[in-house]
Amino acid sequence: MYAAELVGVTKRFGPVLANDGIDLAVARGEVHAVVGENGAGKSTLMSILYGLHRPDAGEVRRDGHRVVLRSPTDAIRHGLGMVHQRFRLFPGLTVAENIVIGAEPVRKGRLDRAAANEAVAALSERYGLRADPSALVGGLPVGVRQRVEILRALYRHAEVLILDEPTAVLTPGETERLFEVLRTVAATGVSILLVTHKLSEVLAVGDRVTVLRQGRVTGRFTTSETDADELVNAMIGRSLTPPVRRRAHAPAGDPLLEVRDLTVRDADGVARLSEVSFTVRPGEIVGLAGVAGSGQRELIDSVTGLRGAVPEVLLTGTPVKAGRDPRVAYVPEDRHGRATAPAMSVAENVLMGAQRDLASRWALPRAKVRARARDLVDRFSISAASVDVPIGALSGGNAQKAVLARELTRPSTVVVAEEPTQGVDVGVRERVHDLLRAARDEGAAVLLQSSELSELRDLADRILVLYEGRVVAEFPGDATEKELGRAMTGATG
Amino acid sequence: MSAPAVAHRVVASAPVVAVAGALLLTTLVMLVVGVDPALAYPALVRGAVLDGNLEYTVAAFVPTLGMALAFALPLRAGEFNLGGDGQLAAGGVTAAAVALLVPLPPGAAVVLPLIAGAVAGGLVAVVAAPLSTRLGIPAIVSTLLISAPAVSLASYLVRFPLAEPNTGIAQTPPLPDAAHLPALGGSGYLTIGLPLIAALTALWLYADGRTVLGYEIRATGQNREFARYGGVRVGRVAALALAGGGAFAGLSGALIVLGPPHRFVDGALTAPGYTFTAVAAVLLASARPVVVPLTVALLTFLQVGGQGMEREAGVPSQLTQIVQGLIIVIVAVLATLRARRPR
Amino acid sequence: MNVFEWSFLAGVLTATAPVLLAALGGLLCQVAGVFNIALEGQLLWGAFVAVVVSDLTGSAWTGVAGAVAATVVFSALLSGPAVALRADPIVVAVGLNLLALGLTAFLMRQIFGSGGTYSSPELAGLPDLGELGLDVPVLREQSPLVPVALLLVAVLAFWLTRTRSGLRLRAVGQHLDAAQAVGLRVSGYQHGVTLVAGALCGLAGAQLSLGNVTLFSEGMSAGRGWIAVVAVMLSGVYPGRLLLACLLFGVAEAFGFRLQGAGLPQQAADAAPYVITLAALVLAAVARRRRRSYEHA
Repeated sequence: MYAAELVGVTKRFGPVLANDGIDLAVARGEVHAVVGENGAGKSTLMSILYGLHRPDAGEVRRDGHRVVLRSPTDAIRHGLGMVHQRFRLFPGLTVAENIVIGAEPVRKGRLDRAAANEAVAALSERYGLRADPSALVGGLPVGVRQRVEILRALYRHAEVLILDEPTAVLTPGETERLFEVLRTVAATGVSILLVTHKLSEVLAVGDRVTVLRQGRVTGRFTTSETDADELVNAMIGRSLTPPVRRRAHAPAGDPLLEVRDLTVRDADGVARLSEVSFTVRPGEIVGLAGVAGSGQRELIDSVTGLRGAVPEVLLTGTPVKAGRDPRVAYVPEDRHGRATAPAMSVAENVLMGAQRDLASRWALPRAKVRARARDLVDRFSISAASVDVPIGALSGGNAQKAVLARELTRPSTVVVAEEPTQGVDVGVRERVHDLLRAARDEGAAVLLQSSELSELRDLADRILVLYEGRVVAEFPGDATEKELGRAMTGATG
Repeated sequence: MSAPAVAHRVVASAPVVAVAGALLLTTLVMLVVGVDPALAYPALVRGAVLDGNLEYTVAAFVPTLGMALAFALPLRAGEFNLGGDGQLAAGGVTAAAVALLVPLPPGAAVVLPLIAGAVAGGLVAVVAAPLSTRLGIPAIVSTLLISAPAVSLASYLVRFPLAEPNTGIAQTPPLPDAAHLPALGGSGYLTIGLPLIAALTALWLYADGRTVLGYEIRATGQNREFARYGGVRVGRVAALALAGGGAFAGLSGALIVLGPPHRFVDGALTAPGYTFTAVAAVLLASARPVVVPLTVALLTFLQVGGQGMEREAGVPSQLTQIVQGLIIVIVAVLATLRARRPR
Repeated sequence: MNVFEWSFLAGVLTATAPVLLAALGGLLCQVAGVFNIALEGQLLWGAFVAVVVSDLTGSAWTGVAGAVAATVVFSALLSGPAVALRADPIVVAVGLNLLALGLTAFLMRQIFGSGGTYSSPELAGLPDLGELGLDVPVLREQSPLVPVALLLVAVLAFWLTRTRSGLRLRAVGQHLDAAQAVGLRVSGYQHGVTLVAGALCGLAGAQLSLGNVTLFSEGMSAGRGWIAVVAVMLSGVYPGRLLLACLLFGVAEAFGFRLQGAGLPQQAADAAPYVITLAALVLAAVARRRRRSYEHA
């Protein structure tokens, strides 16, 4: 009998078939990895198991019995727990409060803080998940916050624990510790569902693997009897990507982007970037690796002019201008927060930055705006009903292509791309990579920030590693993930 | 699209549903308190358009439209300007002061007070801009807080330094003839304020849809971070939008003062409730600027008609405020329902 | 002029009480993540109903009860659209504030036959604490709702930090999705606080029209609801700070009143609370700005 089973689960979102008759079974005490590329249907499947979505067809079973999960509350009651990729924690509450909330110990009508702290301390002890019960969660490092999430699920007596991309925010060292914890927890009989797209993790910690591709199961393996090649095959339907096509000739000429000894402090005087120096020459892609929050935001905002005029940043030899320097094309990671205004039309979104060029004196003729947008939509094969629909109505991939269309058609010599393929499907990912290579081949200097090391290795000529605001290492583009991973934790050399 | 389909779209559009719903609820209020709607509504229509009242309604349309622009322009940049009363009073009292104290040749005697009023209104409003963009204090709160002292200041000025001597009434002396707005075709109420505000509305509509500034204001209102990222100087754009809104309010105040009865009477600018009638009208237009003049006309009609209703049927004219409040609530509800409906 | 005399302190307390009661409601809403700027309208509506019910029944306490009940009903007009339907709370609140203004002025004319101000010898106001046997300076001439308001500050602080529902309420306001994910009925809490805020605004209104004075006049809330909104903005989720912010306003109003007595124009007294409130808001924001400076650099 399995601890949890998904049987014939199908889920459709409008025209998109996210899950198509998926069967998945998790045994008691096993670490079961669910792998697949972005958009393969992993998150949808786990949301169904946790009661966040209802399946169109198929059912969920716990310990062999069919259960109907209408909400996370139902899921919790049936012994399911989930650690989301974006933590669901309350920053202003203590660790203990975050863990017990929803099932708080009460004494004489009052919250029993002492009992809560004790219970949490006992749990920490038992699973080796160290966390100070009375600390405020808002001030804790990411790794500890994740422990709080896991403790919360265990406090609620989760027998099946789902972790959605738990290592995305962790350093390699923290990842190691997480895996130890997961093994400890599994040893007590808790089943663990580990959602990830990183094969090394699957092989390191999983007992069994289920591979998804385009909403279907394309492989079931026992980790001890499989290898990365076999998993990749199942994941992307072909063998390992061929070696990267690099150009024969090296980038040449004076640097288009030069950062000289840049230090950035936050409002409290803490250095977010320290003495960062590097150059990007024409025809070169320089990758930027690092654990989230290592100074990427500050560096990119400095390079694009969004932090104001920064004398240490030189574009074609002169300092960057405040506001938004027109010499930089910038593809931001936050598609709805920064890159687009979702409620405005596609035409008005791709207009941003070019409005003054299109205007004759004051007037901004609508016909011109729409004609230009139609041209971009055609050239970048963006599928949109018309240029007048809100850009928020487009799929993630098409919206991203629109952002690239806008930025790469600027008369810019420096391109800054931030997580350019986050949340887009494989086809768009290829297209985005081709566009960045094309920009490079036309002589642009490209700065590429990505948390996907494979993406950096596919594209970059050189890779800089940021750690705590410093460039701690520089590698050639064909550096191994292991080398990069070590540098990302600050272990230089 | 066929004619019936067009008709259906108009009937089912948010403004129509909101007004119908609000009137329905208001009718219920009438029935509950024992007012006969069959008497009240005809009285309202008569009060607004018949018996020579139409001219008065059109006259009231002018400041209401001006105040609608005062609210709508900053709203396009994402700033709620609820301080219209203060900007209106500041504009009015400044226009009166200039007209009374500065000797001016004909022509300039009208133009200069109008400009001064607009500038005063703009200055009162623009204070909210840095508070919002630099300090994160919502304009909806700061404009309101600034409005009250501005109204108090205007009231003080008209009671003391600018007061008509020896009357004890809180009003300025009559303005010199040269400062009177030229009447429109011998009308008692209508002045060149009407074509002026109409032209300014047209100018705003053009600027909103077809200029760089209009585009940047809208982008700022839709997603400030997006605009900032795109190189728009959002602080300046928001300030410009608030100043522009305040200027429309100040101009409205000046138009009232330079029109009949050609003086600043304390409370006369704020008492008719132009500010919130305009707020209701703009929200009713639900983000379609072209519709604003129509919704302003409709609510002015209700507002003025309400006074007729009070005179004729003894129904308090505050009923129209109830209608306006309900319209705003219903518009908000319709907006969220529409956003949810799958397309 | 001696600022530190008992009567001045009494004046401060009188001016503070209605704002504080309304602001406590606003604070609860803020804790639970509901943006409630309809306090002004609810305060006015509560003041009106208190006078009407007291006038009809001859009992001030029945007036208070009526005000609380009627304002809870009124606040459902906010909680329904804004919490259940997720309509824009700002727009809804702007509409409700206008509705309250129109409704009170309209009904006043229908019920009392004329607009402006209504007062009558038969209209029962709240008793003074002095009459109830609490004959101490400062409190002597206050209504019983004044100590109730002060007590509620402590009650709220206790509730929010020491009880299970208080903890859950804070959780809802901090992270809606997370609260949902741990099985809390988010909209239940948000409806609840919006209605409780209605009740508190009802009390605030009753204190204004039956405690501070014994009359109703059109628009008598006179911006107090907005000042309560600012007090909430200034104090975050801490009832103690809220008390201080409201006392600041009380001092401003009492001081303005004094200035008027000293011969300054009434308009200066009218403007004083707004100017001081705005100044406090700006100073607090400047102090906070240090942290935000990066985003706006």
